[in-house]
Amino acid sequence: MSEFALWFTKMEHSKPFALVLFFITFIGIVLYVYANRKRGERLESYKNIPLEDDDADRIPHHKDKDDE
Amino acid sequence: MKHEKIETNAGLLIIFTLIVISIGGLVEIVPLYFIDSTVEKVTVAGKDTIHPYTPLQLRGRDIYMREGCYLCHSQMIRPFRDEALRYGHYSLAAESKFDHPFQWGSKRTGPDLARVGHKYSNQWHVQHLTAPRSVVPESIMPNFPWLIKNELTYKDIEDRMKALKDVGVPYSITEKEYQANVKRFGKKIAEQLDINHAEQNLLAEETKNNYDGIPGKVTEMDALVAYLQVLGTMVDFKQFEEDHFVKFR
Amino acid sequence: MANTFAQATEQYNYDIVRKFTVMTVIWGVIGMGVGVYIASELAWPFLNFDIPQITFGRLRPVHTTLVIFGFGGSALFATSYYIVQRTCQTRLFNDTMANFTFWGWQVAIALSAISYMAGYTQAREYAEMVWPIDILIAVVWVTYLMVFVMTLLRRSQPHIYVANWFFVAFILATALLHIFNNMAVPVSLFSLESYSLHAGVQDAMTQWWYGHNAVGFFLTAAFLGMMYYFVPKQAGRPVYSYRLSIIHFWALIFLYMWVGAHHLHWTALPDWTSSLAATFSILLLLPSWGGMINGIMTLSGAWERLRTDPVIRFMIVSLSFYGMATFEGPLMSLKSINALSHYTDWTIGHVHSGTLGWVSMITFGSLYHMVPRLYETKMYSQRLMFTHFWLATIGIVLYITSMWVAGIGQGLMLRAFDEYGNLAYTFVETVSFLHTPYVWRAIGGGFFLSGMALMAYNVFMTIYQAKRGQSVMDAKIAAKMAQA
Repeated sequence: MSEFALWFTKMEHSKPFALVLFFITFIGIVLYVYANRKRGERLESYKNIPLEDDDADRIPHHKDKDDE
Repeated sequence: MKHEKIETNAGLLIIFTLIVISIGGLVEIVPLYFIDSTVEKVTVAGKDTIHPYTPLQLRGRDIYMREGCYLCHSQMIRPFRDEALRYGHYSLAAESKFDHPFQWGSKRTGPDLARVGHKYSNQWHVQHLTAPRSVVPESIMPNFPWLIKNELTYKDIEDRMKALKDVGVPYSITEKEYQANVKRFGKKIAEQLDINHAEQNLLAEETKNNYDGIPGKVTEMDALVAYLQVLGTMVDFKQFEEDHFVKFR
Repeated sequence: MANTFAQATEQYNYDIVRKFTVMTVIWGVIGMGVGVYIASELAWPFLNFDIPQITFGRLRPVHTTLVIFGFGGSALFATSYYIVQRTCQTRLFNDTMANFTFWGWQVAIALSAISYMAGYTQAREYAEMVWPIDILIAVVWVTYLMVFVMTLLRRSQPHIYVANWFFVAFILATALLHIFNNMAVPVSLFSLESYSLHAGVQDAMTQWWYGHNAVGFFLTAAFLGMMYYFVPKQAGRPVYSYRLSIIHFWALIFLYMWVGAHHLHWTALPDWTSSLAATFSILLLLPSWGGMINGIMTLSGAWERLRTDPVIRFMIVSLSFYGMATFEGPLMSLKSINALSHYTDWTIGHVHSGTLGWVSMITFGSLYHMVPRLYETKMYSQRLMFTHFWLATIGIVLYITSMWVAGIGQGLMLRAFDEYGNLAYTFVETVSFLHTPYVWRAIGGGFFLSGMALMAYNVFMTIYQAKRGQSVMDAKIAAKMAQA
């Protein structure tokens, strides 16, 4: 355990550590955005926001609030 | 943390954005202040050879910045064979450690000036700055005829040196600071860095060297040429072994 | 103005958008005009006329400040205020504060230009403003952040549309960069001059962290915000992939902040810093192209309108140049390529393929979309819009090509050796070589400027037409009222 913790204390390991950290975060965002189909549909529904601003007849979206 | 929260909460969006945009700068800038080898020590016989500018050189540097010279001339020689032949030894970080702000430049519409000091005579510089095409016919540099006509303002020289002292340049006010400078740079240079004698040092340097060729008149040309003539001359590379500075790169 | 268009101002604050739009066009003409002039000074140095105020060294910051902050900045204020209101379906927060951002910004730009000509500068590229102007800008910017965020908080939408994310990141990053890069100690309380807090290596790193992110956030992220609203609006179809835009956003803002040190390859900056910057510069290609693909795929259903709709043309060309410039950038950040390209006109060409090709073209497209809606009329002349498009496109091509020739040519000449191992060319021989490309560059700039002038004419005629239409209407109503 202490061996493992010591690995992080070395300056030269900070770069690979940071790389792994950021890569995991990035994969996390990608998975969040693409893995769940329902969530994907909800996200895609937001793309209509700019097209709704002209007229009163708004296309409904973000209806499926209970997807999480 | 659900991403949906970030999308719908402006405060969270701001906080996460701030974190994400701060990392890069923190990682790249902060260590430069703490890693010792970033700026190398350059000492000969126990004295720092790189020292702050004299009052006259300092005013010259101000004029260099005012006229936007840095937009066409770099002061940063890269470690390439052609640059070594053209301009001299590659620039050291230490050589600009007193430059507030740095003047490395980003474009060479004209040649690099990092080691232009002592390369040309004072008269050449005066002629070249006043009418560049009279010495270099192909040059596209603007004429700067007003430099030799304008009298140099130096009443605020003490304020300028004090401001630079505030940001870390070792100009001295107290006797203690002066003695520290004597120890660090030697007596001759320490005298030039004494804020209490700034004005008389400036005038004495002008009288002694008379850069602009006009005796008894302190012009902006005096100051600018004084500055140009010191550029890149503070390190005598003959004093060091050939690959001494490589380890700091 | 406010009274004439009272109807529209009820729902949204269009008055502030109109003001910034007009100033975008005005600064565009002046800033690009100065650009063409200094380009000509490099081709024909007599144009400096021995007048201190108009020598190249003093006018160059005038050009960069007026086009980046005057033209680009005003365009961003205008479009961000427009977009945030319409995508949040709420009125802009606090008219007084919004008006302050307008006047504060315009005064800062005008004073900057005048002070550079008078010889007052911080001598930091793209941050030349002297310290009192820096403080004014900081105050304006914080106000801008407040107006923008408070408007977001008043939205009648649970979701914040992605264009606004880009604007938020742009406002925050610009504040951060502006404050840290401009830290300085004034010579005295009544002196405009100051000395920067940092020196040498650290100062260089800070300055280029600022300098490159002025490109990354001011000239890219914010204009991507513009793209994510106006491209779907003009195409009449939603953005190709909203999920891609989310990934695009986070990846882009994270990566950009690392790459500034690629401006300092082979300098006295430690190797680790510039290598790190080069690595991130390569990675940056991915989100950049992700954004470009998202934009182009949005337009891909509207190809047939390329023939009839000049706005779509501006947009597709801007996205193409965005893709080209963001490919060229990582290429130039490679140390081996940078050894040749740095310090030469290749860099100047690269910047302009971004600023003329991407920033200006997306701005032109967005303004041509927005102006008729702001004044409730049609553009004065569709034909002039097409002419503008062609003048701008030809101008950019001439500009970039001549700078490639100049930069690569000079770079190769400077590193050439003769058979004895001596330098093949003196520096001044490369200067003579540059004359022809410099002339072509000035001509290219002239094309682009004349397009900009046509746009100004077109916009002002549109406004005039709208006002006349309004007053005719008013007169009719008044006449009716009098009869009754």
